[in-house]
Amino acid sequence: MTRQKTEPVLYAEDEADDVFFMQAAFKRAGVERLLHAVSDGEQAIGYLAGTGPYADRELYPLPGLVLLDLNLPGRSGFEVLAWLRSQPTFRDLTVVVFSSSGRPEDRAKAAKLGATEYLLKPASGGEFTNTARLLRERWLSEAGR
Amino acid sequence: MLEFASWKPRLLVSLGLFFAATGAMGYLRLHVFPDQFITLTYALPLLICLWYPSLRLLWSMATAFIGMSAYKAFALLPSHQLFVEENTVHWVMQVVNILLVASTLNIVLVILGRLRAANVTLEESNQELAARDEEISRQNEELQAQTAELSEQNEEIQQQSEELQQQSEEVHAQAEELQAINAELSKRQELLENLLQSLHDVRGPEISPDQLCGPLLHLFRGAASVAVVVLRDGDDVVVQAQAGEPAVDATRWPFASSFTAVAMEQDKVAGVADLALRPDFNVARPAGGRFRAVLAAPLRLAGRPAGAIELYSNAPCSWTREHFHILEWSAAQGSLIMEARRLHQQLVAANAGLDRLVQARTAELQELVTELEHFSYTITHDLRAPLRAMHGFAQFLEEESGPQLDDQARGYLRRIAVAARRMDQLISDALSYSKAVRLELAMSPTDPVALLRGMIESYPAFQPPKARIELPASMPQVVANEAALTQCFSNLLDNAVKFVPAGRTPHVKVQAEERDGMVRLCFQDNGIGIPSDMQHRLFVMFQRLSKEYEGTGIGLALVRKVAERMGGRVGVESEPGSGSRFWLELKRGH
Repeated sequence: MTRQKTEPVLYAEDEADDVFFMQAAFKRAGVERLLHAVSDGEQAIGYLAGTGPYADRELYPLPGLVLLDLNLPGRSGFEVLAWLRSQPTFRDLTVVVFSSSGRPEDRAKAAKLGATEYLLKPASGGEFTNTARLLRERWLSEAGR
Repeated sequence: MLEFASWKPRLLVSLGLFFAATGAMGYLRLHVFPDQFITLTYALPLLICLWYPSLRLLWSMATAFIGMSAYKAFALLPSHQLFVEENTVHWVMQVVNILLVASTLNIVLVILGRLRAANVTLEESNQELAARDEEISRQNEELQAQTAELSEQNEEIQQQSEELQQQSEEVHAQAEELQAINAELSKRQELLENLLQSLHDVRGPEISPDQLCGPLLHLFRGAASVAVVVLRDGDDVVVQAQAGEPAVDATRWPFASSFTAVAMEQDKVAGVADLALRPDFNVARPAGGRFRAVLAAPLRLAGRPAGAIELYSNAPCSWTREHFHILEWSAAQGSLIMEARRLHQQLVAANAGLDRLVQARTAELQELVTELEHFSYTITHDLRAPLRAMHGFAQFLEEESGPQLDDQARGYLRRIAVAARRMDQLISDALSYSKAVRLELAMSPTDPVALLRGMIESYPAFQPPKARIELPASMPQVVANEAALTQCFSNLLDNAVKFVPAGRTPHVKVQAEERDGMVRLCFQDNGIGIPSDMQHRLFVMFQRLSKEYEGTGIGLALVRKVAERMGGRVGVESEPGSGSRFWLELKRGH
C-alpha cells in the first residue's frame, strides 16, 4: 500500500445511521480507504488541526478527502469549510459537501466558501453506495490521484 | 336698303332708257319741229338719271343730244332760215346748257353714291347699335330683377339685425343679472372653501375666524360689523372664533338668558333689531361698549344644537329676509363642515389605531414566517434522516437476510421501503409548495421547448420505450421563472406518463396555442382520463383521485400555485377513457 492509498476519508456527520450506511457503502463500492467519522464541527476542526486527542497522526492521519455534512451540532459544516480554506495546509484539500439540503442558497454558499463538490444525500441509506462509487471514481482511485 | 348697297346700273336698262330718251327727243326736234327752236330743253331727259343713277347713261345721252343739236343747227335749220350766225349762237348755248346740266348731275350722282355708301355704313352701325341696345336692355332687366331681390334680402337682413339687437340686449341684461348672482355665489363659495379647508386642518375642533367668520362678514356687506362662532360649554357660552371690529372682549358668558340659548332652543335663525329694547339678553360685548343688533343661527353637532353663529351690528338694524336666508345657509354649511371635521378626527384616530395594529400584526406574521421557514428547513434535515435510515435498513435487511425470510416478511420489508419513499416524496413536495408560495419569482422570457427537451433527455422515464413524448419544433417564448416552470413541466409530464392503464405505453403530445398575448401549452395524454365531476378537485392540495397510482396529492396544487404566481393559469379538459389534456397558460415573452 502506498502512502497516498492509506490517506483516510474524514466524514463529519452527526447521524450515526448515515455513518453506518457510508461505512457499508465504502465496503460495497470497494473503496479501500479508512473512513474516520466525527460527529460535530468542533471535532472535525480538532481532527484536521491535530489538537487534543487527534494529535497522534499515526492514529489519526491527515485525510485525502473530507466529506462534510452541513447541519452539524455546534459549529456548522459551513464554519468547518471556512476554517479549512483559511488554513494554507488545506487550501487544496478535496472537500465534498454531503447534505440533504437542496436549497440553491446552500449550494451557492458552499461553492463560495470553496467546496470542491456538492452532493445531495440520497433518500435511502441503501443508495449511499452510489455516492461512494462516485467518490472513488473521481477522487479516491490511484489513477485519479 | 341692303339691295341698295349692292346696286349697279344694268347695261340693258341703260340702253333701253338711252334709246327711249334719244328717240323721243329726236322725234320731237328733228321730225315734228324741224324748222324752229323749241323751248323744250335737251337737259330735261338727263334728269332721268336722277331716278336711274348711271353716269354711263348720262354722258351717252349728253353726247347724243350735242350731236342731235349740231345736226339740227347746221343741217336742218339753214334751209329754213337766213341767219346762220344766230343758229350757231343757239347751238353753243344748247351745248353749254347740256354740259352744265350733265356736269351738275354727274356731281349730284357721285355725291348721291357716296351718300348711299355712307348710308349703308350708317345702317350697319345702326343695326349693331340696335342689337347692343337690345342686349343692354335685357341686361338691364336682369339687373333690375337682381336689384329687387337684393333689396328684398336687405330688408330681411335688416329685420334679423333688429331681432339680434333685441336678443343681444336681452342677453346683456341676463348677463348682468348672472354676474350679480355669480358675485354672490363666489362669496358663498369662498365661505364654503374656507370651511372645507378647515377639514384638512385637524389641529382641533375650533374654526378659525377667517375660515367661517371672515367670509360671513363679507357676505353681510356692512350690515354686520362682527361675526362670532360660539359653542355651549356646560352653563356657559364660549367664543370659538370671531372676526370684525370692534373685537369681542369677554370670550365667555352665562348660557342662561343668552341670545345663543334663544337661537338654540328655537333651532332656527333669530334676530333682534335693537338690543337697547332687550337689555335682558346676554350677548357678546365689545371692550367698553355694546352692540345694538344681533342675528344668530344655531350650529348643530351630531344632530343637536351645540352653539351658534352670531352677527353683531354697532347700530340698530332691521334684518332682512335675505339676511336670515344667508345666515341660515351659512350655519347649515358650518354645521356640516364641523360635523365632517369631527368624524374625520374620529376616523384619523381610528386609522392610527389600525395602523399600529397592522404594524404589530405584520411584525408577528413576519416572525411566524421566519419560524415557519426555519421549521420547513428543519423538516428536510430532521425528518429525512430517519426515513433514510428506515429505507436503508429495510433494503439491507432484504438484501442480506432476504433468503432466510418468508414471502410475507419480505412483503413487509418492501412496504416499509415504499412507505419511507412516499414520506420522503411528501416532505419534498410540501417543501416545494411552501417555497412556491413564499419565494419571489424572477421572471424572464423563456423557451418552453428547450426546457422540455432538456427534461426529457435527462429522465429515462420520459424516453422510449417507457414513454413517448412529442414536442413541436418550436414554441413562442413565455414569461416565466425557469426553475418554477421546470417544476410545472415535470409535474405535468410525471402525471401524464403515470396515469395510464397497465400495459399501455404513455404517449404525450405537447402543443402551444397563442391567443390575446397568452401562450397556452397543452399536454395531451393517452391516460385513464378524469370524470368531469372530479376535475375541479384536481388542483386542490392533498386531493388524490386514485389510490391505484402513487402520489402525494401536492403536484397539481403546486403547478397551479406556481402558474398563478407567474401570472398564468392551469386547467384540464378530459373524459374518462379518452385521455386528458392539461394546459398551462402564461404571458407571451417578446
